[in-house]
Amino acid sequence: MLKGHLDGLLLATLEAGPLHGYAVMEALRTGSGGRVDLPTGTVYPALHRLERAGLVRSRWSTEGGRRRRSYALTEAGHRALAGERSSWQEFSGAVSALLEGRPWPTPA
Amino acid sequence: MADPSLTDPSLDRAARRVIDAYLAEVTDHLGGPSGARAAILAELEDGLWTATAAQQAQPMSPEAAARAAVAEFGHAGAVAAGFGPELAAATGRRVGLGLLATGPLVGSSWLLVTAATWRWAGREPPAALGLVAGLVGLVLVVAVPAAMVAVAVSGRLSRWLPVGPQVAATAAATAASACVAGDLVLLTGMLTAAVLAGGMAWPAGLLAAGASGLRLSLAGRAARRCLAARATLL
Repeated sequence: MLKGHLDGLLLATLEAGPLHGYAVMEALRTGSGGRVDLPTGTVYPALHRLERAGLVRSRWSTEGGRRRRSYALTEAGHRALAGERSSWQEFSGAVSALLEGRPWPTPA
Repeated sequence: MADPSLTDPSLDRAARRVIDAYLAEVTDHLGGPSGARAAILAELEDGLWTATAAQQAQPMSPEAAARAAVAEFGHAGAVAAGFGPELAAATGRRVGLGLLATGPLVGSSWLLVTAATWRWAGREPPAALGLVAGLVGLVLVVAVPAAMVAVAVSGRLSRWLPVGPQVAATAAATAASACVAGDLVLLTGMLTAAVLAGGMAWPAGLLAAGASGLRLSLAGRAARRCLAARATLL
Protein backbone atom coordinates (compact mmCIF):
# COMPACT_ATOMS: atom_id res chain seq x y z
CA MET A 1 0.00 0.00 0.00
CA LEU A 2 2.89 2.30 0.85
CA LYS A 3 4.48 1.65 -2.52
CA GLY A 4 1.44 3.03 -4.30
CA HIS A 5 1.81 6.28 -2.37
CA LEU A 6 5.59 6.54 -2.35
CA ASP A 7 5.64 9.40 -4.84
CA GLY A 8 3.14 11.37 -2.79
CA LEU A 9 5.17 10.85 0.39
CA LEU A 10 8.39 11.98 -1.26
CA LEU A 11 6.74 15.00 -2.86
CA ALA A 12 5.22 15.94 0.51
CA THR A 13 8.62 15.93 2.23
CA LEU A 14 9.87 18.40 -0.36
CA GLU A 15 6.91 20.74 -0.11
CA ALA A 16 8.51 22.90 2.59
CA GLY A 17 11.73 23.33 0.65
CA PRO A 18 14.69 21.56 -0.98
CA LEU A 19 16.20 18.53 0.78
CA HIS A 20 19.01 16.11 -0.01
CA GLY A 21 18.35 12.37 -0.25
CA TYR A 22 19.31 11.46 3.31
CA ALA A 23 17.29 14.40 4.67
CA VAL A 24 14.26 13.07 2.76
CA MET A 25 14.72 9.67 4.43
CA GLU A 26 15.03 11.38 7.81
CA ALA A 27 11.95 13.53 7.16
CA LEU A 28 9.91 10.42 6.36
CA ARG A 29 11.14 8.70 9.54
CA THR A 30 10.63 11.62 11.90
CA GLY A 31 7.39 12.78 10.25
CA SER A 32 5.85 9.34 10.71
CA GLY A 33 7.21 8.66 14.19
CA GLY A 34 9.46 5.99 12.71
CA ARG A 35 6.63 4.10 10.98
CA VAL A 36 7.78 5.04 7.47
CA ASP A 37 11.40 3.88 7.33
CA LEU A 38 12.14 3.38 3.67
CA PRO A 39 15.42 1.85 2.53
CA THR A 40 18.10 3.82 0.70
CA GLY A 41 17.63 1.62 -2.36
CA THR A 42 14.05 2.85 -2.56
CA VAL A 43 14.25 6.55 -1.69
CA TYR A 44 17.23 7.69 -3.76
CA PRO A 45 16.16 5.91 -7.00
CA ALA A 46 12.59 7.18 -6.50
CA LEU A 47 13.89 10.75 -6.30
CA HIS A 48 15.75 10.16 -9.56
CA ARG A 49 12.58 8.80 -11.14
CA LEU A 50 10.59 11.82 -9.98
CA GLU A 51 13.23 14.08 -11.49
CA ARG A 52 13.08 12.17 -14.77
CA ALA A 53 9.31 12.67 -14.75
CA GLY A 54 9.79 16.41 -14.19
CA LEU A 55 8.14 16.43 -10.75
CA VAL A 56 11.30 17.44 -8.89
CA ARG A 57 14.52 19.10 -9.98
CA SER A 58 17.92 18.54 -8.44
CA ARG A 59 20.78 20.92 -7.86
CA TRP A 60 24.35 20.12 -6.86
CA SER A 61 26.16 22.19 -4.26
CA THR A 62 29.27 21.76 -2.14
CA GLU A 63 28.83 21.22 1.60
CA GLY A 64 31.88 20.70 3.78
CA GLY A 65 33.98 19.82 0.73
CA ARG A 66 31.50 17.19 -0.45
CA ARG A 67 29.17 17.35 -3.43
CA ARG A 68 25.55 17.41 -2.32
CA ARG A 69 22.48 16.88 -4.47
CA SER A 70 19.33 18.57 -3.26
CA TYR A 71 15.84 18.11 -4.63
CA ALA A 72 13.04 20.65 -4.93
CA LEU A 73 9.48 20.42 -6.19
CA THR A 74 8.71 21.75 -9.66
CA GLU A 75 5.38 23.32 -10.57
CA ALA A 76 4.32 19.95 -11.98
CA GLY A 77 5.45 18.39 -8.68
CA HIS A 78 3.21 20.74 -6.68
CA ARG A 79 0.27 19.80 -8.92
CA ALA A 80 1.09 16.09 -8.63
CA LEU A 81 1.25 16.41 -4.83
CA ALA A 82 -2.21 17.98 -4.77
CA GLY A 83 -3.46 15.06 -6.88
CA GLU A 84 -1.78 12.51 -4.60
CA ARG A 85 -3.37 14.13 -1.53
CA SER A 86 -6.79 14.07 -3.14
CA SER A 87 -6.53 10.41 -4.19
CA TRP A 88 -5.19 9.42 -0.73
CA GLN A 89 -8.07 11.18 1.03
CA GLU A 90 -10.54 9.39 -1.22
CA PHE A 91 -8.81 6.03 -0.72
CA SER A 92 -8.38 6.38 3.05
CA GLY A 93 -11.98 7.59 3.39
CA ALA A 94 -13.23 4.53 1.53
CA VAL A 95 -11.07 2.15 3.61
CA SER A 96 -12.18 3.83 6.86
CA ALA A 97 -15.80 3.50 5.79
CA LEU A 98 -15.30 -0.19 5.06
CA LEU A 99 -13.52 -0.85 8.37
CA GLU A 100 -16.13 1.02 10.34
CA GLY A 101 -19.10 -0.39 8.44
CA ARG A 102 -20.20 3.01 7.19
CA PRO A 103 -21.57 3.68 3.71
CA TRP A 104 -19.20 5.31 1.19
CA PRO A 105 -19.36 7.93 -0.06
CA THR A 106 -20.92 9.51 2.99
CA PRO A 107 -24.50 10.51 2.16
CA ALA A 108 -24.94 14.31 2.05
CA MET B 1 42.39 20.40 21.51
CA ALA B 2 39.31 18.33 20.53
CA ASP B 3 39.68 15.61 17.88
CA PRO B 4 38.36 17.25 14.64
CA SER B 5 37.01 13.87 13.47
CA LEU B 6 34.41 14.11 16.21
CA THR B 7 32.78 17.03 14.39
CA ASP B 8 33.72 15.90 10.88
CA PRO B 9 33.93 12.10 10.79
CA SER B 10 35.17 12.15 7.18
CA LEU B 11 38.54 13.26 8.62
CA ASP B 12 38.87 9.92 10.38
CA ARG B 13 40.86 7.40 8.32
CA ALA B 14 39.15 4.32 9.73
CA ALA B 15 35.71 5.81 9.10
CA ARG B 16 36.74 6.74 5.56
CA ARG B 17 37.91 3.19 4.92
CA VAL B 18 34.47 1.87 5.98
CA ILE B 19 32.62 4.33 3.72
CA ASP B 20 35.00 3.82 0.78
CA ALA B 21 34.70 0.03 1.04
CA TYR B 22 30.92 0.28 1.01
CA LEU B 23 30.92 2.62 -2.00
CA ALA B 24 33.33 0.30 -3.82
CA GLU B 25 30.90 -2.55 -3.24
CA VAL B 26 28.02 -0.45 -4.59
CA THR B 27 30.17 0.44 -7.61
CA ASP B 28 30.73 -3.24 -8.35
CA HIS B 29 26.97 -3.70 -8.71
CA LEU B 30 26.21 -0.54 -10.70
CA GLY B 31 25.92 -0.52 -14.49
CA GLY B 32 24.84 2.25 -16.82
CA PRO B 33 26.50 5.43 -18.10
CA SER B 34 29.64 6.45 -16.18
CA GLY B 35 28.33 9.96 -15.51
CA ALA B 36 25.13 8.62 -13.97
CA ARG B 37 27.12 6.13 -11.86
CA ALA B 38 29.48 8.85 -10.62
CA ALA B 39 26.53 11.06 -9.67
CA ILE B 40 24.90 8.21 -7.74
CA LEU B 41 28.11 7.45 -5.85
CA ALA B 42 28.69 11.12 -4.98
CA GLU B 43 25.12 11.36 -3.72
CA LEU B 44 25.41 8.18 -1.66
CA GLU B 45 28.75 9.30 -0.23
CA ASP B 46 27.24 12.57 0.95
CA GLY B 47 24.32 10.66 2.46
CA LEU B 48 26.64 8.21 4.22
CA TRP B 49 28.73 10.95 5.80
CA THR B 50 25.58 12.80 6.85
CA ALA B 51 24.30 9.56 8.39
CA THR B 52 27.68 9.02 10.08
CA ALA B 53 27.57 12.48 11.62
CA ALA B 54 23.99 11.81 12.76
CA GLN B 55 25.07 8.54 14.39
CA GLN B 56 27.66 10.48 16.39
CA ALA B 57 24.84 12.12 18.31
CA GLN B 58 25.39 9.05 20.49
CA PRO B 59 28.87 8.64 21.96
CA MET B 60 30.79 6.40 19.59
CA SER B 61 33.95 6.51 17.52
CA PRO B 62 33.83 7.85 13.95
CA GLU B 63 34.54 4.33 12.67
CA ALA B 64 31.66 2.85 14.67
CA ALA B 65 29.41 5.67 13.45
CA ALA B 66 30.44 4.95 9.85
CA ARG B 67 29.66 1.25 10.35
CA ALA B 68 26.26 2.18 11.76
CA ALA B 69 25.62 4.48 8.77
CA VAL B 70 26.54 1.69 6.35
CA ALA B 71 24.21 -0.68 8.18
CA GLU B 72 21.47 1.94 7.98
CA PHE B 73 21.94 2.24 4.20
CA GLY B 74 21.60 -1.51 3.81
CA HIS B 75 23.21 -4.15 1.62
CA ALA B 76 25.28 -2.56 -1.15
CA GLY B 77 23.85 -4.92 -3.76
CA ALA B 78 20.29 -4.03 -2.80
CA VAL B 79 21.06 -0.30 -2.94
CA ALA B 80 22.66 -0.67 -6.37
CA ALA B 81 19.75 -2.82 -7.57
CA GLY B 82 17.36 -0.05 -6.56
CA PHE B 83 19.06 2.21 -9.10
CA GLY B 84 18.77 -0.45 -11.84
CA PRO B 85 15.59 0.93 -13.43
CA GLU B 86 16.93 4.50 -13.45
CA LEU B 87 20.26 3.43 -14.90
CA ALA B 88 18.45 1.37 -17.55
CA ALA B 89 16.36 4.41 -18.43
CA ALA B 90 19.49 6.60 -18.54
CA THR B 91 21.25 4.07 -20.75
CA GLY B 92 18.27 3.80 -23.10
CA ARG B 93 17.90 7.57 -23.29
CA ARG B 94 21.56 8.18 -23.94
CA VAL B 95 21.71 5.53 -26.67
CA GLY B 96 18.44 6.73 -28.24
CA LEU B 97 19.58 10.36 -28.33
CA GLY B 98 22.99 9.34 -29.64
CA LEU B 99 21.51 7.34 -32.49
CA LEU B 100 19.03 10.08 -33.40
CA ALA B 101 21.87 12.61 -33.44
CA THR B 102 24.39 10.56 -35.41
CA GLY B 103 21.97 8.89 -37.83
CA PRO B 104 21.53 11.95 -40.06
CA LEU B 105 25.32 12.51 -40.13
CA VAL B 106 26.04 8.95 -41.26
CA GLY B 107 23.15 9.05 -43.75
CA SER B 108 24.28 12.41 -45.15
CA SER B 109 27.84 11.15 -45.61
CA TRP B 110 26.59 8.21 -47.71
CA LEU B 111 24.27 10.49 -49.71
CA LEU B 112 27.33 12.62 -50.43
CA VAL B 113 29.15 9.52 -51.68
CA THR B 114 26.21 8.63 -53.93
CA ALA B 115 26.03 12.16 -55.33
CA ALA B 116 29.78 12.51 -55.83
CA THR B 117 30.22 9.06 -57.38
CA TRP B 118 27.29 8.96 -59.72
CA ARG B 119 25.02 12.03 -59.90
CA TRP B 120 27.64 14.80 -60.07
CA ALA B 121 29.86 12.62 -62.29
CA GLY B 122 26.94 12.14 -64.71
CA ARG B 123 27.17 8.34 -64.34
CA GLU B 124 24.28 5.92 -64.09
CA PRO B 125 24.09 4.35 -60.59
CA PRO B 126 24.20 0.53 -60.51
CA ALA B 127 20.99 -1.44 -59.85
CA ALA B 128 22.54 -2.74 -56.61
CA LEU B 129 22.23 0.77 -55.22
CA GLY B 130 18.46 0.43 -55.27
CA LEU B 131 18.68 -2.75 -53.19
CA VAL B 132 20.98 -1.01 -50.68
CA ALA B 133 18.57 1.94 -50.45
CA GLY B 134 15.65 -0.44 -49.87
CA LEU B 135 17.43 -2.30 -47.08
CA VAL B 136 18.53 0.95 -45.44
CA GLY B 137 14.93 2.14 -45.65
CA LEU B 138 13.83 -0.98 -43.77
CA VAL B 139 16.47 -0.32 -41.13
CA LEU B 140 15.26 3.25 -40.74
CA VAL B 141 11.66 2.09 -40.33
CA VAL B 142 12.80 0.09 -37.29
CA ALA B 143 15.63 2.23 -35.90
CA VAL B 144 14.06 5.70 -35.92
CA PRO B 145 10.79 4.83 -34.15
CA ALA B 146 12.66 2.58 -31.69
CA ALA B 147 15.12 5.35 -30.81
CA MET B 148 12.25 7.81 -30.42
CA VAL B 149 10.42 5.42 -28.11
CA ALA B 150 13.60 4.99 -26.03
CA VAL B 151 13.93 8.76 -25.63
CA ALA B 152 10.22 9.32 -25.00
CA VAL B 153 9.72 6.70 -22.30
CA SER B 154 12.93 7.65 -20.46
CA GLY B 155 12.10 11.35 -20.15
CA ARG B 156 9.30 13.51 -18.86
CA LEU B 157 6.71 11.63 -20.85
CA SER B 158 7.35 8.73 -18.46
CA ARG B 159 4.88 10.47 -16.13
CA TRP B 160 2.03 9.63 -18.49
CA LEU B 161 3.29 6.58 -20.34
CA PRO B 162 2.38 3.24 -18.73
CA VAL B 163 5.78 1.68 -19.53
CA GLY B 164 8.98 1.46 -17.56
CA PRO B 165 12.73 1.75 -18.07
CA GLN B 166 12.77 -1.81 -19.39
CA VAL B 167 10.99 -0.57 -22.51
CA ALA B 168 13.51 2.26 -22.90
CA ALA B 169 16.41 -0.20 -22.76
CA THR B 170 14.68 -2.66 -25.11
CA ALA B 171 13.79 0.04 -27.63
CA ALA B 172 17.31 1.47 -27.53
CA ALA B 173 18.82 -2.00 -27.99
CA THR B 174 16.51 -2.55 -30.97
CA ALA B 175 17.48 0.80 -32.50
CA ALA B 176 21.18 0.17 -31.94
CA SER B 177 20.96 -3.35 -33.41
CA ALA B 178 19.12 -1.96 -36.43
CA CYS B 179 21.87 0.63 -36.87
CA VAL B 180 24.50 -2.13 -36.77
CA ALA B 181 22.57 -3.92 -39.51
CA GLY B 182 22.20 -0.68 -41.45
CA ASP B 183 25.91 0.10 -41.26
CA LEU B 184 26.80 -3.42 -42.38
CA VAL B 185 24.42 -3.02 -45.35
CA LEU B 186 25.88 0.39 -46.20
CA LEU B 187 29.50 -0.68 -45.92
CA THR B 188 29.18 -3.91 -47.87
CA GLY B 189 26.47 -2.73 -50.28
CA MET B 190 28.02 0.60 -51.21
CA LEU B 191 31.50 -0.81 -51.59
CA THR B 192 30.14 -3.66 -53.73
CA ALA B 193 28.10 -1.23 -55.83
CA ALA B 194 31.17 0.96 -56.28
CA VAL B 195 33.31 -1.98 -57.37
CA LEU B 196 30.64 -3.20 -59.78
CA ALA B 197 30.21 0.29 -61.19
CA GLY B 198 33.94 0.82 -61.57
CA GLY B 199 34.84 3.16 -58.75
CA MET B 200 33.77 5.56 -56.04
CA ALA B 201 34.48 9.16 -55.08
CA TRP B 202 37.04 8.00 -52.54
CA PRO B 203 37.49 11.05 -50.30
CA ALA B 204 33.75 11.04 -49.62
CA GLY B 205 33.74 7.24 -49.55
CA LEU B 206 36.44 7.05 -46.91
CA LEU B 207 34.64 9.65 -44.80
CA ALA B 208 31.34 7.75 -45.03
CA ALA B 209 32.97 4.36 -44.44
CA GLY B 210 34.79 5.77 -41.41
CA ALA B 211 31.59 7.27 -40.03
CA SER B 212 29.66 4.02 -40.58
CA GLY B 213 32.47 1.91 -39.15
CA LEU B 214 32.66 4.06 -36.04
CA ARG B 215 28.90 4.10 -35.60
CA LEU B 216 28.74 0.33 -36.16
CA SER B 217 31.27 -0.25 -33.40
CA LEU B 218 29.60 2.17 -30.98
CA ALA B 219 26.08 0.94 -31.78
CA GLY B 220 27.17 -2.66 -31.22
CA ARG B 221 28.55 -1.78 -27.79
CA ALA B 222 25.47 0.32 -27.03
CA ALA B 223 23.14 -2.56 -27.91
CA ARG B 224 25.05 -4.87 -25.55
CA ARG B 225 24.94 -2.26 -22.77
CA CYS B 226 21.19 -1.80 -23.22
CA LEU B 227 20.57 -5.54 -23.15
CA ALA B 228 22.73 -5.85 -20.02
CA ALA B 229 20.80 -3.01 -18.35
CA ARG B 230 17.53 -4.68 -19.34
CA ALA B 231 18.71 -8.04 -18.00
CA THR B 232 19.22 -6.52 -14.54
CA LEU B 233 15.51 -5.68 -14.43
CA LEU B 234 14.18 -9.10 -15.41
